[in-house]
Parts: sequence; C-alpha cells; structure tokens
Amino acid sequence: MIEVKNVTKKYGTTIAVDNISFTVNDGEVVGFLGPNGAGKSTTMNMITGFIEPTKGQIIINGNDISKKPRKAKKEIGYMPENVPLYYELTTKEFISYMAELKMVKRNERKQKVEEVIKEMGLEEVKNKLIRNLSRGYKQRVSLAGALIGSPDVIILDEPTVGLDPKQITEIRNLIKELGKKHTVILSTHILSEVSQICEKVIIINKGKIIAVDTPENLERMTKEQNGISLIVEDPKNKMDKLKDKIKEIQNIEFIKDNEDGTKQYIITTNSDIDLRKKLFEILPKEEIVIFELKKTETTLEDAFIKLIDTTKQPSEEENKKSKKKSKKQQTEEKTKNENNNINKEIKTVKEDKKEEKK
Amino acid sequence: MWSIYKKELKTYFLSPIGYIAIGIFMIMYSIFFYLTTITYGSVDTGNLYYATARYGLLLMIPLLTMRMFSEERKSGTEQLLLTSPRSVTSIVLGKFFAAVTVILITLVLSIIYAVIISFFGTVNVPTLLVTMLGFLLVAMAAISIGMLASSITENQIIAAIITIIALVAPWFLVDISSIFTSIDLIDKFMKFPYGLISIADTVGLISITVMCILITIVLIKRRKAVK
Repeated sequence: MIEVKNVTKKYGTTIAVDNISFTVNDGEVVGFLGPNGAGKSTTMNMITGFIEPTKGQIIINGNDISKKPRKAKKEIGYMPENVPLYYELTTKEFISYMAELKMVKRNERKQKVEEVIKEMGLEEVKNKLIRNLSRGYKQRVSLAGALIGSPDVIILDEPTVGLDPKQITEIRNLIKELGKKHTVILSTHILSEVSQICEKVIIINKGKIIAVDTPENLERMTKEQNGISLIVEDPKNKMDKLKDKIKEIQNIEFIKDNEDGTKQYIITTNSDIDLRKKLFEILPKEEIVIFELKKTETTLEDAFIKLIDTTKQPSEEENKKSKKKSKKQQTEEKTKNENNNINKEIKTVKEDKKEEKK
Repeated sequence: MWSIYKKELKTYFLSPIGYIAIGIFMIMYSIFFYLTTITYGSVDTGNLYYATARYGLLLMIPLLTMRMFSEERKSGTEQLLLTSPRSVTSIVLGKFFAAVTVILITLVLSIIYAVIISFFGTVNVPTLLVTMLGFLLVAMAAISIGMLASSITENQIIAAIITIIALVAPWFLVDISSIFTSIDLIDKFMKFPYGLISIADTVGLISITVMCILITIVLIKRRKAVK
C-alpha cells in the first residue's frame, strides 16, 4: 500500500507538486494522468525515494521512505522515464546487477534472473550488449530490472513510449497481469491505455490533484450533455424546424453535406434524456429519411480535457466534497467557472486595448 | 557495497579505461626505469614511484574517476542506484574501492621491475613496500578528489579538468603561501621513497581521502533534497 500525505515539492520558488495526498491499495493498478510538466514524474521520483519531498510523508507498506529508506525501497520496483540502462553490460549482467542492488538473496538470484528473462521474452538477447538492443528490447530490459525480486509495488514512468503497436499491447497485457499480484502505478498521457489497464485514475495538473476516480466514473462525471449523431436525407429542409417539434432538444448542429446528398447533424440534449426512440418515430413523419443514428460517446479524453481546462481547480478535499453534491450543482459550478473565465478574458482584452492606446 | 564494487571494477575492464590507466602507469614507469635505473645503473626504486606518482597519476586518476558519477547522472542510471535499497555511502565506497583496486593492480604489476633489478643488484624490499604504500595512499587521496569532482558535474571532461587542476595547482600555489603544502599530495609522498613512514604525511593523506569521500556522500544526499 502506498500512502502519500500532503506532499509538496518546491524547486526554488516554483512549486512542482502542491500538497497532494492519495492512497493506492494493494493490488490496484493506478494510472497517473496529466499534461506535460504536471508533476507526474516528480511525484513518482518522490515515491521511489529518488528525490525528497519538501514537505509531507510518503509511506510504502508502513515504512516511511525518508526515515526507513532501506525497507521501503526494497518493496519498490521502478522503471524510470528515459529507460536508463548500463549500455556496456549484457542483458543478463544488467538484470543480475539489479538483482544484487535489490538485495535478492544470493542462492535465489540466478533462478530469479532466469525467471524474469523468460517472463519478459528476453531469452534471445540475454547475452547481447544492451547498447546493441532495439528500443523495444531496451524497454523490456528496463521493465525486467523493475520486476526482479518481485517487489510489492511497481512504478512505471511512461512504460509504452516509443514502442510499436504490437509491443504496446504486449506491455499492456503484461501490466494487467502484474496488477493481479502487485500494486502498480503507471504514468502516461495515452488515455486509451488508462481506460484499458487501470482501475483507478489520478489526474494531476500544475502540481495539484484534480480528480481521483475510476475511468468510467470520470467519463460519466464530466458528461453534461447527451449527443446524437444523425445522418439524414432531408429534401424539404425540415430539420431546422425539428426543434419546435421536439422540445427536449437543446441544440441542432449542422456538421456537413455528404457527397450522396445526405446531411450530418449532431443533436444535443440534457444528459438524463435519451431521444433516440423519439427521433425514430418523428423523423419519418416529417419525410426525413434516417441513414444513420447513433449516440456519441464521451471518452476519457473529453473528461481529461474538461478537467484540465477548468482553470480554477478544486483541491482534493473540495473535490471530494463536490462529489457528494448533486450533479446539477456541479454543472452549475462549472458554467460559473466558465463564465468567470470568459469575463477574465474580456478583461484582459480590454486591458490590452488600453495599453495599445497608450 | 560489494555488488557495486564488483560491477564498477568489471566496467573498468569492459571499457578500455582500465587498460589505458594501467598502460599509462606502465609507460611512465618504464620511461623513468630507462632514464634512471638503466642509465645510471641504480637499484633505487623509490625514485621510479615518485616520478610516476607525480606525472602518471595526473593522467590515470581523471581517467578512473571522471565517469564515476557524471555518467550515471547524465544517462539517468543514477536513478537506478539511488532508488535501490543500497545506501549512498555504500554506493560511494563501492565506486571508490573499485578505482583503488585498479591502482593496486598496477602496483602489483610494477613488482616485475623490482624483480628485474634484483637480477643485477639487491632491492631493498622494506623500502620498496613502504614506497608502494605511499603511492597507494597518494592515489587514494587523488581518487577521492576525482570522485568529488565527478559528483558535482554531469560533464566528464569538466570533472577530469577539475581533478587535474586540483592535483597540479598546489605545486604552484606553494610559491604564494606555504599553507598550500598541506593539500599538495606529492609533497606528502616525498619521505616514503626513503623508506620512512611519516605519521604527519600518512594522517594528512588519509584525512584528505576521508574528507573528500564524506563531502561526496553529503553532496549526493543533499542533491536528493534539492533536485
């Protein structure tokens, strides 16, 4: 179990990580999401004891990483961001060295090294110099280094960057497999990866945690409207008047004319209304022929962008509170925030104009 | 410490660095062997070690120490070391003793020359051993200085230059003030070739070594908090 309590990291005056707290339970696979420079790597480096937090506590399986580093670090396998390796060693030598560093018992060492080599599919290259390996193999060697000694906690900083699609699926499956026995934290900015592998997502932006939840909940939470994508043949241009016929419709947006004479629209409604049935009934009466009708899915991507964009990020505590509030209140708050942003923008534009006049 | 020591020593001989360092020693030693021993027919070995220490170490030590921490930092492997359960002290000592071992190997090889001399005259074995001890102590102090230099920069070349300056500067600074003799390693080596173990010099060399190792450890620990 990993407990991060009120951790802050400052570099001079800039705050890289700002008072974050979260826990990761045993056997959880947690995704760490955030734009570049959000503080993902810094947080991971602090959890692994590579750098020390300015304030706060990090506890790994009951051991404080700053006070009992030896015990705490024994429980961690870490694959750093840029895949650092000793290029002058062979794969096997490197993994054995990592095993020694991790204090794997002497009599078990050989066997465990062989196990990891097999598990990671490195047998072909085990006697090759790491210098001569391809990127994908290097990544796997690095991962093998993190897995040796089967630590309880595995921390992977962007494990799939620079791999080809086949290798990516391999590594993902492997991580899923790992999640059964170990606690895994991985950082990434590939969102589909998170929704595939992770049970929990921590979204971090500008050093602050802005959401902790399951990927599904995040998608649901940020969904304010239902969207229906519609492709129709509409010779009499009756689509414009549809809004009068069906009052639940908030907006009808024309997307494009298709080559075959059909038109594409997106119809939006409140999130609690599903109009698909009604559309099927009413459109034929209006002499509109439906070619295609489907619900637009909100993805984690939308959720992510929405959460990052709300510049007034609530801190974690506020976030927890706001979860308890009803969805309506949340949406109200969000529109308020957005309004504020717009106001701010207008102000800045005005100021700019004033300056220009001067 | 042992695992880091083993790996570092192996790395010295997987790359050409270990061989080059030993080669430099042998070339220097051979040149002085020719210039003094053969030319004058002397049986004095002390002079050979003194000259090699003065000029050979200037090249050998930066070679051995410049990569120690600079490269780990640059390539990021530092992260692997510092996130392992090993303490900073054991990492620093492991690296230090690996470099010392290379020096020990050269000293063992240098015995060949004493054997050659012994065919033509008598070698004063106790003096030879004392000289070698002195050489080792000087080399250890120089390694610790080089290690410290390597821990403060990511750039190997800068680390090497700092090391060379730290070794050479005291020779000239002595002209400004006699205080600088206390950091002149070669000055502390003067008495060993005569078979004398001077307590002051021995303690001086050992304190420089210990001090530099301690500063290196503190610096690396400190960087964890600042970085």
